[in-house]
Amino acid sequence: MDERKQDGETVMPSVKVNLKDMQKLIGKKISLAEFKEAILFAKGEVDGIDGKEITVDVKDSNRPDLWSAEGLARELKARLGIEKGLPKYTVKKSGISCTIEKSVEKTRPFIACAVVKGVKVDEDFLIQMIQLQEKVGTTFGRKRKEAGIGLYDFEKMTAPVFYRGCKDKEIEFVPLEYKVKMRPSEILEEHPKGKEFKHLLEGSDRYPIVIDSKGVVASMPPIINSQTTGKITDKTKQIFIESTGFNWETVNTALNVIVMALADRGGKIESVEIKFPKTKTYPKKSVHTPVFDTWSIEVELENIRKTSGLELSNKEILRLLAKSRYTAKIKGKKVIAEYPSYRQDILHQVDVIEDVLISYDYGKVKAAPIELVTTGAERPESLEVDLAREVCIGIGLQEILSYTMTSKQKQTTMVGLDEEKEKFVELANPISENYTIFRKRLFPELLEFLSQNKHFSFPQKIFEVGKVVALDSKSETGVEEKNILCIALSGKGAEFNTIKGVLDAVTDNLGIKYSLKESNFAFLEKGRQGEILFAGKKGLLGEVSTKTKQNFGLEQSTVILELEI
Amino acid sequence: MDLTQLAASLSEIEKKTLKALDSSNEKSAKDVSTQSGLPIDSVRRALQWLKEKELIELKENKEECIKLSPAGKSSLRKGLPEKMFVQALKELSGKETLDAVKKKSQLNTPELHASMGLAKKNAWISIQKGEKGVELELTGLEKDLLEGNYALEKALEAVEAGQEIDGTERAKLLKRGLAEESIKVNRKAALNLRGEKTLQNLGNVTKRAYNVQGAVPKIFIGKRQPYVQFLNQLRKKLVNLGFKEMKERLIVQEFYNFDVLFQPQNHPARTWTDTYQLKQPQYGKLPKASVVAKIKAAHENGGNTGSRGWRYNWSEKIASKLMPTAHGTTADARQLVEGAEIPGKYFVINRCYRPDVVDASHLVEFNQFDGFMVGKGINFRHLLNILETIAVEVAGAEEVKFFPDYYPFTEPSVQLSAKHPKLGWIELAGGGVLRPEIVKPLGIDVGAIAWGMGIDRLAMFKLGVKDIRYLFAKDLKWMRESRMVKP
Repeated sequence: MDERKQDGETVMPSVKVNLKDMQKLIGKKISLAEFKEAILFAKGEVDGIDGKEITVDVKDSNRPDLWSAEGLARELKARLGIEKGLPKYTVKKSGISCTIEKSVEKTRPFIACAVVKGVKVDEDFLIQMIQLQEKVGTTFGRKRKEAGIGLYDFEKMTAPVFYRGCKDKEIEFVPLEYKVKMRPSEILEEHPKGKEFKHLLEGSDRYPIVIDSKGVVASMPPIINSQTTGKITDKTKQIFIESTGFNWETVNTALNVIVMALADRGGKIESVEIKFPKTKTYPKKSVHTPVFDTWSIEVELENIRKTSGLELSNKEILRLLAKSRYTAKIKGKKVIAEYPSYRQDILHQVDVIEDVLISYDYGKVKAAPIELVTTGAERPESLEVDLAREVCIGIGLQEILSYTMTSKQKQTTMVGLDEEKEKFVELANPISENYTIFRKRLFPELLEFLSQNKHFSFPQKIFEVGKVVALDSKSETGVEEKNILCIALSGKGAEFNTIKGVLDAVTDNLGIKYSLKESNFAFLEKGRQGEILFAGKKGLLGEVSTKTKQNFGLEQSTVILELEI
Repeated sequence: MDLTQLAASLSEIEKKTLKALDSSNEKSAKDVSTQSGLPIDSVRRALQWLKEKELIELKENKEECIKLSPAGKSSLRKGLPEKMFVQALKELSGKETLDAVKKKSQLNTPELHASMGLAKKNAWISIQKGEKGVELELTGLEKDLLEGNYALEKALEAVEAGQEIDGTERAKLLKRGLAEESIKVNRKAALNLRGEKTLQNLGNVTKRAYNVQGAVPKIFIGKRQPYVQFLNQLRKKLVNLGFKEMKERLIVQEFYNFDVLFQPQNHPARTWTDTYQLKQPQYGKLPKASVVAKIKAAHENGGNTGSRGWRYNWSEKIASKLMPTAHGTTADARQLVEGAEIPGKYFVINRCYRPDVVDASHLVEFNQFDGFMVGKGINFRHLLNILETIAVEVAGAEEVKFFPDYYPFTEPSVQLSAKHPKLGWIELAGGGVLRPEIVKPLGIDVGAIAWGMGIDRLAMFKLGVKDIRYLFAKDLKWMRESRMVKP
């Protein structure tokens, strides 16, 4: 649970806005400082300011309605007391329809559409629309899998519209930013967007196509629009929007988020009648989208007080809910909170309780101590690991700390082991050659340490206590994680008897009785090495072989000891 | 410096030398060496030091003498040419031509002729003209020469050893250029008055006094790695606050890293760009079926938790996939599944892994510090309190602020910013009330709060390093020189 986990554009959307545009959308001349403060209530955070452009990180990955200047303004209007309760949008019937044909059912079954008229397309508009469409498709739509959005110049289309599953040979069109007609399969192979999202259409021989009554192709969702209709410019006056995917709620949430943003810029929303084929996948009747219906949730008043720890009156709860854009009423011991259907993030009463607390202001909540009678304790392994450290410090060794991930080369070929035969816990998606596996032995890391400190005074006496990870098919996690103590001494007099003396000192002080047998590790000198056995555990010690020393560029004589803890 | 102090400051060598001297008899370095048992070089150095300290008079008298020239030294090493000449003839069975002897002895022509003359003069050889040219034959008188009884050879050795030699041999050496005339400097030392008094004071001195300001060799002590010291202190603090440590695991099932924590299986955070995945091993085992069924229900439709759930088909296979732990909260999940004491307070310091480009502020492997509390009546205000306590205890925060935040596993969620005495305001920790979808399926009906933080930045400050990579640096100098980390 930390700030890093939400890193990355796909998980935490960052939204670019400009203050002047925000002021226009909010309808109030708020200062940058006020904006910064207010945005915190929308779980946003100003990440950077570059000239006029402000970058806001929106931490909630389940609130696509907030991922645009329009959406943030909508939230801030309530926070600043300019509006309260449910946002209201008026939808007029356009009289046009979009028919979902049975042929698309197996490929990408759902589409929801809307028309927005009277929009004034300017630079801010274009920036916000491209940004929102992208964020909704990427984060909320799980990289367009669950929801993909398309916007079109409606004046270049002729209603009614059809959503059809076409076979490759049945259709061709000019994809956006191209000049020649291409078949769907060619687009997936050649167009950059086609290549990027090709996998979303795998497993079906039909391609989803949005096409008008004159046979003009609008797009192949969720991949690419056509060059003919799929471009919004400053001349565009009427916009047709579609959202496609596998889940009716998800598709509609994505559509609503876009349509609301357009309406916030003065657009007039008109609905499109979605006609369904007669199969089990779809509702029985046709539906006019966008659907601005509301959902409601019952929250126990006592639960609000119990979870927050605040003695809030019913009236106060209603006020706080209105500030969070709910329309709420008290019914007995509960409050019924009505919210817009796009708030698909509300899964449980607790989601509403958080909104109440945010409206109350975290800064005003007084922290309260709680007495829980518990006894603190360290893990036994933590204590054992630290005992081993204590012994090593007593011997006068310096502890070092290295990564548990490492390279296969360091753990095999550099220490005379066969890279093909040695099996490791191995990453599927490494991003650096230096970290591809988990270490199975500790001493190569210590040898590397020595190799990087040759210019400092000798003798060098180091140790590390840390985890090694090996494959273990009997374990529930498929691995065995063990704590290992490793010691390395380098310089004059670093020979077998010296390290054996260290072994005796360590084992005597830890109360270990070991037996030692001759061994034949490739990385140790012949006749100057041994394998340690004790209480079902293992270890090894010896003089590092000339070859291994050469591999690490070590010149001084060096001995090592590895012992399970 | 008075003479008592002076006496105390003398080294052992100086003291021994001083004791071997007296004021009436002048003594050479060799005399002192014999008397004190010190090597002659040590005596020479000590005499110089004592002279500088004005404890002795050092007189030099010059004496004419001879010393070996380079040719003399070479002859001493290899043998005189006449000896090599005769030696060669002897090795050639006592009778041979001059050419053969020349070849064998490797003497040059002037040396050869001079040697032949000398050999004839000393009657070591006889010379005849034969068929093959000049023929030489040993006479039997060469025995003394070859057995080391040659006066000139002895003279060479004597000169080298600095001994007196007989006038005839001296003249021969000079004539043949084997020796040169030279001047020998003899140093003779005697105590002066100060020296005598100092010598008397020596009896009162037990140990030599050192120059206390002088530098001494550095000692590198054995100690814990600085970051480990920091983590140990953190562990102790949490134990003191009544928290039990949870088991750290490096490889976990996605079930614990995500599913128990109510992160839907199609969430972007679960893709390969955000977490490491394993090539091998790939799948682990899930806990008992009844627990798995409840988690499945929580995801699909909320189960018994009062939630709508994420409404998708939850896959047991995805949940059993193995991965390197991506966040410390995984340990919370595991502890909750295995059973937490109520009331209970738990924490973990867990090595975590994320695919990232390593730079001054990012590591692919780092430590996270997470914990949770369960108990009757625990609410949001208690969460703020424990976060504040940790900020003060662990980070030394002077002031804290709380902001709304988002985590898939908590609601309400909060971010704690702390005012650090040096770093200013920093985002320190995240926390929240654990979602019912997490605790209810695991049979917990009381309040549960959780928190977590990346502790690298705090450690960096404590250790005074600007680059996060230093926490794992392979830099012996830094470790040797770094001070103990103060709690």
